[in-house]
Amino acid sequence: MLDGQPIATQEAGDKMLVELYRKYAGDYPKFFKMDTLCRLGWVAAEILLKKQSVDAVILANCSASIKNDTDYLATISEGKYYPSPSLFVYTLPNIVTGEIAIRHHIQGETSFYILEKEEQLEPIVNSTLAAQPELCVMTGWCECSEANKFYAKLNIIWNN
Amino acid sequence: MEQLIEQLKSQIIEALNFEEMTPADIDSEAPLFGEGLGLDSIDALELIMLMDREYGIKLADPKAGKQIFASVRTMAEYIEANRTK
Repeated sequence: MLDGQPIATQEAGDKMLVELYRKYAGDYPKFFKMDTLCRLGWVAAEILLKKQSVDAVILANCSASIKNDTDYLATISEGKYYPSPSLFVYTLPNIVTGEIAIRHHIQGETSFYILEKEEQLEPIVNSTLAAQPELCVMTGWCECSEANKFYAKLNIIWNN
Repeated sequence: MEQLIEQLKSQIIEALNFEEMTPADIDSEAPLFGEGLGLDSIDALELIMLMDREYGIKLADPKAGKQIFASVRTMAEYIEANRTK
């Protein structure tokens, strides 16, 4: 959905993220190296930031980078110790905000919080806007707990 | 050697998640870093892991990497000469 209007897609799961990448970006091969959580946040930001630029990115979820952590763990299991550097890179969720900031040249705050509930993010963002009233912030929930199971809801907010 | 090069290209595509690429897209002689495939330092680590996992080769001298990873062909030549599996 974008501004309440559905975006048509043919694919499902991780393939849907690739479909959206091809539709809205297509010029960033590093996308294919990202884990699912990072692809999700990155492609959602790509769609949203076509309408407006922002100064800061504050995202959150409740599972951190658990899906990629599990994939990485599989590479260091007993009897098969080949730790994957490219998976290790994504064993922190805040790389999502970092990748978005790099892509969109955002030089303000970039934070990724691990919270129990989505509504806990609001006071954090309000606090940021109280301290820096001039900011335009992209914020929201970006969650991927297992393969092909994810949810993102991003908004752009600012003080009137 | 040509068979090893083709196999290596497929392994590189899988290890580095080049989902839109086929072995035919990779020039055996082109530089792997900088120009050519444009790999970065994380990719270099992934290639080192690939050589260990698939061919039983552990790189003891990091300085040798620049020469070994110059292209797919130089990588294949090194594997051919040093593989233990």
